[in-house]
Order: sequence, then structure tokens, then C-alpha cells
Amino acid sequence: MHLQRLTAVVSFSAIMIAAQRPLVAAEPTQDRLPPPAQRKIDFAREVLPLLQKNCYSCHGQDEQSGGLRLDQRKAAFGGSDNGAVILPGKSSQSPLILLVSGFDKNVGLMPPAGEGRPLTRAEIGILRAWIDQGAKWPLTADPQQTARAHWSFQPVRRSPLPQAGSTDWIQNPIDAFVFARLQQAQLTPSPPASKELLIKRLYLDLLGLLPTPRQLQQFLDDTRPGSYLRLVSRVLASPHYGERWGRHWLDLARYADSDGYEKDRPRPHAWRYRHWVIQALNQDIPFDRFSIQQIAGDMLSNATTAEQVASGFHRNTLHNTEGGTDREEDRVKKTVDRTNTLGTIWLGLTVGCAQCHAHKYDPISHREYYSLYGFLNQIEEHDISAPLAIEADQYSNNTARFDQAHSPLVAAVATYEQNELPTAQVTWESKALQTGFSWTPLKLVSSDSKHGAQLKKQSDESILATGKNQVSDIYTVQTASPLNRITAIRLEVLPDKNLPKGGPGRAENGNFVLTTFRVETSRRDTPSQLSVHKFSEARADFAQKEWDVALAINERPQDGWAVSPQIGKRHVAVFRFAQPIEAASSIQLKITLDQAYNQTSAHNIGRFRLSVTDHSGPIQLEGLTGDVIAALKVTAENRKPQHRELLAKYYRSIDPKLASLQRRVEEHAKLAPPSPATKAQSVRERSEPRIARVHLRGNFLTPGDAVPISTPQILPPVAARARKPDRLDLARWLFSPTNPLPARVTANRIWQRFFGRGLVETIDDFGLQGEKPSHPQLLDWLASELHSSNWQLKHIHRLIVTSATYRQSSANRQDLWETDPENRLLARQSRRRVEAEIVRDLALNASGLLDPRIGGASVKPSQPSKHAGLTYANSAKWQTSGGGNRYRRGLYTFFQRTSPFPMLMTFDAPDSTSCTARRSTSNTPLQALTLWNDVVFFECAQQLARRIVEDVPRGFTETPLSARIDHGFQLCLSRSPTTVERAAVATLFRQQRDLCQQNPSSAKTLIGPTPVPSDTAAEELAGWVLVARTLLNLDEFITKE
Amino acid sequence: MPLPPVIRDARREFFTTSAASLGGLALTSMLAEEHLIGSETQPTNANVTAVKPPHFAPRAKRCILIFLAGAPSHVDLYDPKPVLRERHGQQPPQSLTDAVRFAFIKKDSAILMGSPRKFPQRGESAMPWCDLMPQLGSCVDDIALIRSMHTDAFNHHPAQLMMTTGVPRFGRPSLGSWLTYGLGTDSHNLPGYVVLPVGRGSSGGVSNWTSGFLPSSYEGVVFRSEGEPVLNLNNPPGISRKMQELGLGAITTLNQQRYQLLRDPEIASRINSYELAFRMQSAAPQLIDLSSESQETLDQYGVTRSEPKNHNFRGGGPHVYRQFATNCLLARRLVERGTRFVTIMHASWDHHSNLTDEISYNAGMLDQPAAALLHDLKQRGMLDDTLVVCAGEFGRTPLAENGGGAKQNTGRDHHPFGFSLWLAGGGIKGGQIIGATDEIGWAPVVDAVHVNDLHATIMQLFGFDHLRFTHRFRGLDVRLTDQGGNVVDKLLA
Repeated sequence: MHLQRLTAVVSFSAIMIAAQRPLVAAEPTQDRLPPPAQRKIDFAREVLPLLQKNCYSCHGQDEQSGGLRLDQRKAAFGGSDNGAVILPGKSSQSPLILLVSGFDKNVGLMPPAGEGRPLTRAEIGILRAWIDQGAKWPLTADPQQTARAHWSFQPVRRSPLPQAGSTDWIQNPIDAFVFARLQQAQLTPSPPASKELLIKRLYLDLLGLLPTPRQLQQFLDDTRPGSYLRLVSRVLASPHYGERWGRHWLDLARYADSDGYEKDRPRPHAWRYRHWVIQALNQDIPFDRFSIQQIAGDMLSNATTAEQVASGFHRNTLHNTEGGTDREEDRVKKTVDRTNTLGTIWLGLTVGCAQCHAHKYDPISHREYYSLYGFLNQIEEHDISAPLAIEADQYSNNTARFDQAHSPLVAAVATYEQNELPTAQVTWESKALQTGFSWTPLKLVSSDSKHGAQLKKQSDESILATGKNQVSDIYTVQTASPLNRITAIRLEVLPDKNLPKGGPGRAENGNFVLTTFRVETSRRDTPSQLSVHKFSEARADFAQKEWDVALAINERPQDGWAVSPQIGKRHVAVFRFAQPIEAASSIQLKITLDQAYNQTSAHNIGRFRLSVTDHSGPIQLEGLTGDVIAALKVTAENRKPQHRELLAKYYRSIDPKLASLQRRVEEHAKLAPPSPATKAQSVRERSEPRIARVHLRGNFLTPGDAVPISTPQILPPVAARARKPDRLDLARWLFSPTNPLPARVTANRIWQRFFGRGLVETIDDFGLQGEKPSHPQLLDWLASELHSSNWQLKHIHRLIVTSATYRQSSANRQDLWETDPENRLLARQSRRRVEAEIVRDLALNASGLLDPRIGGASVKPSQPSKHAGLTYANSAKWQTSGGGNRYRRGLYTFFQRTSPFPMLMTFDAPDSTSCTARRSTSNTPLQALTLWNDVVFFECAQQLARRIVEDVPRGFTETPLSARIDHGFQLCLSRSPTTVERAAVATLFRQQRDLCQQNPSSAKTLIGPTPVPSDTAAEELAGWVLVARTLLNLDEFITKE
Repeated sequence: MPLPPVIRDARREFFTTSAASLGGLALTSMLAEEHLIGSETQPTNANVTAVKPPHFAPRAKRCILIFLAGAPSHVDLYDPKPVLRERHGQQPPQSLTDAVRFAFIKKDSAILMGSPRKFPQRGESAMPWCDLMPQLGSCVDDIALIRSMHTDAFNHHPAQLMMTTGVPRFGRPSLGSWLTYGLGTDSHNLPGYVVLPVGRGSSGGVSNWTSGFLPSSYEGVVFRSEGEPVLNLNNPPGISRKMQELGLGAITTLNQQRYQLLRDPEIASRINSYELAFRMQSAAPQLIDLSSESQETLDQYGVTRSEPKNHNFRGGGPHVYRQFATNCLLARRLVERGTRFVTIMHASWDHHSNLTDEISYNAGMLDQPAAALLHDLKQRGMLDDTLVVCAGEFGRTPLAENGGGAKQNTGRDHHPFGFSLWLAGGGIKGGQIIGATDEIGWAPVVDAVHVNDLHATIMQLFGFDHLRFTHRFRGLDVRLTDQGGNVVDKLLA
């Protein structure tokens, strides 16, 4: 749309305002009241709307400030706590008049600041005249009644087609309605657009791309009847349709690839929702299903991945992760946004107006708003695995292949356990007491924590840490070894019910990080002299991924041993000394457990035990413990079940063959195919329902009454599957046959995409303040088509684009300019600049650079350097994509909310912070600079020049210049140039080429790095680059005509 | 700036051949753009930024907003609190902290933190003025300092939106957009609304100068400190001015051809946009070319002053001092050339820690150039109708930040309940302090000024009744001051 309307509604005409300043004079006198209007006043038409707009937020259904209620006849005449406010016949004494004029000394001006604007003198004059004329308030004039009678809340009615007389202009029912309206206004339709223009219009509207010269020629050559209908079918079947109409939908869905707000973190999975939208539209999923899946796809029984991805619609809200953010506040903001978005998309109502108080104009109360909010108040966010079809196939193939190789290894373990292990155990038992491995616990002498933790010795020789738990604590243990020779030392970390998640660590998740493990010795006589003993090996029963126990004995202080996710269990690490420690007398040990994990939360060990061994062979994690030795001492035949169990368990832990077989299984498991990487943002219903409460003045910190979950009363009631209605019921309610709004709103929005404006111009406001439809019967006819076609969007598209109305020329006409400058009556088509993404697509398309791949992850094409620096602390890095991804369609461009791609914003792409039903269309110098100079657009000019020169080689025709100009026009504008245009471009080419000849180095720079076609001079190609740049900058190039 | 002959010829050709057949439509809009006739024509994109009158005679005609993003500490910069200093280290009364929330402060161990700053009296008005900004101290008689500001939002981004767009949410036009929308611009060769960023990006990013639901014609245009001053301003390498002229001539001719056929006024708008873009290509480099400024002026602003050795701060960088000085000078050059609104955006003042060093650095950056800007405007007779506003999005706690770690108690947390900012010129009564906070600087106790009040007052200065300067959007008459706002009469000269 043009800006006529925008400018027209700004209310700051100097003269008008000077006359209408609020009367807040120091000494009010009755004489200074605005005079009553000098005409008969109609209450319903003139007075009621004034009261409704200015008074009802405090003196209406929800609130009766001062005891005054002005939305019901009886109450209004009953007056306020201070008595009557309307004195029929006596306007100058009526408190209502004094209040709105600012002459009431006690109360001051009504409405008060912050509740609305003061009434104008003319408006006060109307109120006065009404009172003076007797203050007649007809019983029928009731705001609720008025609202109920509002056109958009009435059932959809399919009118019979108007009888338009004999005209062969009419192609389908749409035209009958349009023609009848034109006849009323004594206007005639415009002639049809040329075939060239029509095919370009159709491609732009349905695909956002240009027809290729071949497609153009094919259509021009098809002179059989029905050629246009065949074209429409071909175009509607193109998979680029989903991209074009998907982007329209993404405007409504406020899609973006980052969170917004200060941190504005990237959303790596957001694109999966976009991918779904494109596919769903290409499959022409009926619009009701398309909608229900987005509103409540997660709640459908046995919801498919696609349905859960669809409900990621709700995840497109902003998300605040700035430090110190109140999470509940953020959640409330999201829920409000979800409610308002639902209102805009499916109801065409500005329900958001009722967020803070009753809707000023529409029959939605403050309570009803929060009843509707209640449906969306149960949403919980979560991400799901959402492999694309190709990924899922690959994964199942790979998994099958892996399983084939893996299962024999698993079987080998089982076979060994069954066939050989028992024999091996018997052999071991026979000599275990002589040669068995054992660990001797160290008896604690003293222990110390650097940051004040309490280290308490337990009865089992372990140490439990309690008390302070600071970041990076260091434990030191002093002890004397009971052995005179030590080959290895063992650290057991133990679970304990006093530890978080049962330990063994003290971090919130029960984990710990041992960054350095050190053993020093001193001699009893010289305790201050310490010598460090190096380790040659470290092993553990388990280590967290990337937190191997060997990292605890390396030189780097930051890494170490950790055990997540195996929390709440005992774990064992053994460390073998490079050289055994030997001494004649007892060895004094100082053991240090450093936990210098450099994070904000403490990761210290909660309970541990140290043991040593003098065994020279391979070090085992588990030694013969006292109970094992005891069991061994019992002869085989006398062993009790618990003895046998103990010995079997112990032997399993030391049998070398079993260990090696198990290691093979573990090693091979690492080769398992990774689960598909693609995830999606989704939602699910919270198990414990939240109670919806009114937020007084829209503030979540001041909750009011609890309200039931329900839909607005002005609309048909919602049917609940269970006792209370839920989000799925809401979604289905929208599409119940008795709900008139979704079909009307949807038909209107579709119409807007084809004609530049809706049949209802206020595309997002079908309420009392919205515009009335220009063609109410046509709107209802389209709505009923949606119903009867089972919500097939492509059906509606086909109807519209095959209508004669759509096919008209868009040329302006003198007669129309005077009678219908905004083209509301549709006596012609509308001319309109294409959307931001399409501007980019067209340049890539005409030049041949476009990478037409459909769907997939977002891409980062070249953008001006430093642009990302506008984000908070330069946080959003922009790594330009490589290869074809630099030339993908605009809708795939990664949308960073705080530093959106500048080219898109320059051409009025929405900022994607809230639902956008209609974009503005500005026309600015920055757009000119972008098309001239932006890197990608100049690359397009270079490529287009090459294409023109290569497609029309010298010698191909006798007039290569003209032929090339014609080709350029066809590539960019889908038509041939006029004689004047051809001549102008020929002159331009010669002048530019001459300039290039005078300056060969500039010619070289202009054509860029790719080689020049063999028969072409560099200067000539450079001349074509400049011509191409001109073509790409024409108004016609970026306009649907 | 005169258009090159080739374009002038094309225009003339257009007017003579088209005028009769166009019903005068495009012609009038193009003439309107050149101020040859009034703007009572069918509005089109061609003249959306043409000059329009406000409601009543304005005091201010242009505005320079110095935005200190991240929020400077009012108790260290503007609002001396001896009691706070006396009670340094003590616990605050529980009644004070019970009712509020903090981003990072832990309530149970919160302590009051006094400011080490001195506030000697300056000027004829004897205004106490922070010793970190001695040069601005020489301007206090032109400055109205508000010490009783408060705002609704607690986190940076919403609060910045509150200050720049009037609501703590996305989607609304910024102050500069409202003003260029309402008043148009006197600038023929440069955008009406320009943003000059320095330092790291602000929390709000582009949403601080967005045109919201207004067309992008009213969006702030970022002038960049490195590379080309305006995005895509320079022609690609190899394209000479002459080639560009020829190209523009052909675009104009071909667009006119299309206009003859379809008569869409948007085509005329497109022609105008290309001409303005072409003029900007010369005007913008001329704007940033400071060679015509005297050495004295350059020195006054500090354009070549030395950078502090240590600049490893939130608001710091190797060129921040000079860049900020340059931006202040550019702001003057822009308003001189008719630009309606200039935002100088500096981030960050978010001093959760290391407050003493960092605020000294930032104040040093601000002081000289801002003072030079006020003196320079005054000397040129422009201060009378140029409003200068220096503001952050909120204040900082009189409590020390104690979130833990080594940086404990060296900074202050977010504080929306009370803060300070100042205005000068453009119909502002200087040499006065408006409002006061309590004895520790927590909240206003006299003449509280809400952000919407500030906006209402700015609208008043520009000749608008803020209640009536509205735009219909989603069923509501939306205004900058949203749900509230009263003009602060004391501010007006």
C-alpha cells in the first residue's frame, strides 16, 4: 500500500489542534464551555461511540470508578456516588459536561491523563446538544447489542451471485461481485494486462520469481484456448510456491533465528519450523489442519514429528536471557504475545487491547482476555529431535549396518561368560589367597580444606566433606603408610545420602572435577622436605566424556576427572607410581586433591577413601577385600550363596579376558551412528495446570481474580473434550463451522497478497474500529469457498488469479484517480513494490546466480562488514556462508533480531518481534544505494552482463546490440523494450563502454575476477555490467505491475 | 546540492512532456519535494519527509540525543549524596530492599556504597557538578539537570526501548522517528535522522532507532565510523562519478517511460529517491570530511586528543575518545545541514564492577566533546533551537554490587527507581536542578519525572501536544507517551 493512509491519519493539523486545546484554564466559567452542536443528535450513531471510546475503560462493564457506569441506560442516569451526572435539558449544569471539559474543581479533567485523550470541543458540543435535546437514550442502543450486531461476528453468508447483465468480462464469481460494485459506481473495469505482464505478475505473486525467457516464450506461443489456466496449474505446482507463501506466513508467525533482547542468542533449530511451513504449503495441507497443528499439534493423539515441529510456532516469541531477568515475567510476556498473535492471525481482532483493561472498542473484557490467555498459559517449551526425512532414512540404514557388526561382539561376551568364565574363576580361586591383589586403606592422620570445608573421617576410613563448599577447593591429607613399599595408590569416590543427588561430588548435579592428584612423601625426621612422586599410569572404572582420569595427573591445572552422568555411585581411580616408593621405616604421605575447576559453581569431591598397594603386577581397580578373603577361606563346598555371589562378582571385575572382550564392545560402541542432528523447537502441555488470573493493568505482579479458561462470549462457545477446554479445543473451535472469523480473516489476507490491500483494509482488525469490507458479499463468498473446499488454499489462489479482476491492467486511469484513488473498487490491478526478500531473489534470479535449493537451515550471505557490531557487545558473529548458500533466496537469510540483515530491513522486512499482517512499503534513498552498491546486487549486475553477452554471442545476429538489449529486458522485465527504451539503453551502453575504453583499468575492476568470454573485449563487458546495473535498478524490476 | 546537468535535463524533459498528461500528479509531488509548492497534494512516498508544521510554534527544531547506554551511575555523576557516603558499608534499611528485586545484588548481604566523587559548585547557578566532568561544568547555566527521573523497566533492553520509544517493548517508533515523521526534515542531501554509534553495541541494537510501525523512511540511518559513512554509499570499485551520473540518467529516463504508461506516483517517488541517494553520495563524504573545520574547533572537541593508555573497559576501545569527539562534531555538522535528529550512541556504562576506574574513563570521554558541542552550538546561535539531551536508560543502585567473586563491591546494579539526566538548549531553562531523590539517591522525593513525562516535554518543545500526536496502529491511536506523560513545565524557558 502507499502511504496515503498513513499520512492521512496523523492528527496534527495545526489549525485543528489550536482550536481544540483542552480547557484547563485557571478560572473556569460556565460561559467558556464549548457550545452545543446546532443540529439534531443521534444517540446511537454519535453519542454512544464517544462514551464507548472515552469512558468505558473506567466506567463500563469491568470497572465502575466512582460508582459511575455509562454503558447501560439505567446505570448512566443513576449517576455516580456523588449523584446524577446527566441532567436532561441542562447540559451546562450536567456534571458529565463539566468533567469532560475540565471544569470540575474536585475531580479535574476527564478522562484523566493516562486514560485517554481529552474530548475535543466539537465532541463536547455533541454531548451538550444531546443532553439539551432531552438526553434520549433509546432502549435499543446498548453497546453489547451494537457489538453483537457487528458485521464480522455474523455467520458467513453465501449470497447468490449478482446478476450483472450481459458481459463477457466475467470469468468467475469473483468478477460478478466486483462488476456489480463497479456498475453501482458507474465504472468500467480495465482491459486485461498483456500476456507478458500477466505471466510476470503470476510468477511474482505465486512464486516470487521471474519466468525464464523459455517459460515466457512458451506461454506467448500457446495460443490455444485455456493457455492461462494451464499456466496457473503449472505455477501452482512449483515447489517455490511454498517458499513464497511460506514467507508470508512467517511474517505472521514472527519467525526469527535468534532470541531477541540483549543477549539475542542464536536459535540453531528455528529453521526446522520454517522447513515445515514450506513443505506443508507445498502439499496444500488444508488450512484448518495447517493451523491446528501449529496451535496444538503437540496435543494431537500420537502426534507425529511434523505435528510437534508445527507447534514450534509458539516458540517464535522473543526470549529474554539477559542477566537478572525475571523468568516468570518473561514467560508472561511470551504468553501475552501468543494470545495476541492468535487473535491477529485467526480472529482478526486486536485482543491485545484488553490486556490492561476492557477493550475500548470491541466486546472483549479484561477477564475474557485472560480467559483466552489461559489456553496458552499451560505451554512448556522443549526441543525435540526432528530429523528430516532423508536424515531419518540414513540413520535407520546406518543403525542397521552398525547393529550387524556390533551384535557379534556382544554375543562374544555372553558366550565367554557362559562357557569359560566359571572355569577361569575356579582356577583363580585355587591360588587367589597366595597371589591375590589387595588394597590397604590409608588411615587418616590429618586433613585440611583450603576453603574451609569440614573433612570428617568416617568409620570406613573414608572422608566426608561438609560445610563450606567454595569454588576450587583443595583437600590435603596427611597419613602414614602401613606398607614399606607402595607401587600404586587408589582413590575411591563414594556416594553419600548427604551429598547432592547422592554424590560423590558436591556440585549441584552430584558431580566433581579432580583437576590434579598429587602424592608427596617426607621422612619422619625431616618433615619439611617433601618429594613429589610421579605417576606412570592412571585408570578409572568410569570417566565423563572428555574428562578422563589421566587429565588429573597431567600438567594442565584446568582439566581433570569427572563422572557425570554416572552420579550417585561409587567410582574408583588407580594411579601407578613411575617408581615404587620404598622406605625402611614408615612412609609419611601428603596427598593433595586439587579441584581447580574454573567455573562459577563449586565442583568438589564429597566423600572419598584412599588405599595403597605393594603389588608389582598389573594394577587392578579392585583388590581382595576383607570379605572376599573371608569367602575364599571357606572351602568351596561350604560356601553360602552370598559367598559365591561375592566371589563371582569380584572375579568378574578382574578377569582379563572378560575385560578385553568388554573393551571391544565399548570401543565399537563409539562407532555407533550419531542420532540425526536436526532438532526442532516445540512445546508441550504442562502437567500441572496453571490458574489464569487477570493481571490488573496488564501487570503480572498484581494478579486479580482467577478466571476460567474460555473463549470470548461474543463468539460461539468452545467445546471441551474433557471437563475443561484446552489448547487443542481452542484450535478446533477456531474452525468450527459456526465461527465466522477465521474464514473471513484468512480469505481477506489472501486477497491482500494479490491486490495490495484487503477487502477489509484493516487486515488485522475486524472489530468495531476496523474498516468495513469494500465488498462484503465477495468476502463472504470467498470465506464460504474456504469452508466448502475443505480449506484448500490453492483453490482460493486459483479462483483469484483466474478472475478477470486479477487479470486487469494496473495502469492508473484519470477517471479512477478522481473517483477511487485507493483502488478500493478494483477497476484495475494495483502496482506494488515486491517485498524485501523478493527484491533479493529477483536480482539473483535475473542474473542466474540464484541457488534454488528449497528448505533447510538458515544461511548467512555477505552483509556489510561491521554490521553485526551493532549487537550487544558485538555478540552476534556473522560467518559468511560459502558456495551456493551465498545465493539462496532471501527467506533463508539468518534473521538476527538485534542486527537484522540490513538489505532486508531497508526494504521493510518486519523486525519479527510480533505478528505482522501487513508490511509497509517505503521508497527511500537507502533502497537506491542498496540496489546500486550492495555487494550481492553488484555481483548480480556482473553476472547478468556475462549472461547477456554469452546468451547472445556476436555473430549470432546482425544487430547484436539490440538483441542483447532485448535479452536483458526479457531476463529482468519479462518483456521486450519499446523503441524509445531500446534507444536509451543503446546510448547508455555506448557512453559507458567509451568511458571504460578511456579507462581500461576501471573496466578490469568492473568486470570482476571471472574470465571474459573469448569474443568479448573487457571494455565491452564492462559496459554491459553498467547497463545490467541500470536494469536491476529500475522501478519496474522490483515492482509487481 | 545542484544535480548534474544530465539529471536536470531529464527532469526538465519529464516536467514538460508529462505535466499535461499526468493530471499534474507526479509533478506536484516532485515540486513539493523541492519546496516549490505547499504539500497539500495527494501524499506519496515522494514527499514523506517534506517539512510539515507542528501543532504550535516550536521552541526546538532539532535534537541531539547523547545516549549513555548501559546506564551511568547517578550517585557518582549527577546526584551527590553525603549521607550515603557517611553510611558507606552499612546495611540498608530492610524496608527498602524488601520490596524490590535486583539483577545481581544478593539482598542478605547488601551494603550501601558511597561515592568518592566531589561536586564543586559551578556557574552562576552554583550547580554542584561532578569533578569528573570539569568542562561540562562550564556549561551548567545552560543545563537543566533532572535528578528525579524514574522508569518502568529493569533490564537494559526494555529500559533502553522505554527511553528511546516510550514503551519497554518492541515495535514502537523511536523518538527520532516520531519527530521526522511529524516534522519532516530540512535536509535535502542527508537523512533526517542519523545515528552515530561509538564503543561496543548497545543492548537494544537497531531497535533503539527503529521506525517501528512507521515506514522505514523515518528510521535512523547509521553513520559508521569505519569504511563508508552510510551503508552502500560508495559505488563499487571501477565506477566513476561520471558513470554513476550516466546510470542515474538512464534510470530516470526509463522510469519516466514507465510512468508515462502506468502513471503510478510511486515511480515518481522512486525517481526522487534515486536523486537523493545520488546527492547523498557527495554530501555524506563532505559531511565527514572535517578539513573545513578550524584547528581550534577540532581541538575544542578533542578530535585529535590522545587516548587513555588503559582502555580495556566496558565503554573503552583504542579510538573511543577520538571517535566520541568526532561524533559530537559530526552531530553539529548534521544539524547545521538540516538533519532533524541525531543520536550519539555510546556503550557501555553498565558498571557492575570496577566502577571507579571505568566511570572516570567514560566521563573523560564525554566531558570535553559534549561541552564543546554546547559551546559551539551556542556560539553559532543554534543552541536556542537545538535540544541536546544526555541520558542513559536508568540509574544505578546506591548499594554495592555483591554478586560474589573477586569483583565484589566494586560496582553498582541496575536501578530504575531513581536516576538523573540533563537537557540543554531548544527552549530548556538552563542553570536549574529539577527534582531530588531521597538522602541515599534511591527514589525521587520531589518532582518525580517519568520517562513519559520527559517525552511529553520534548514533544512540547517541538511544538506538539503529545496527546494528539498519534498514529493509528492495530486499532489504537498510538503515541510516543503511550499511557501517560505530563509536560514538565519547570523545564521550559
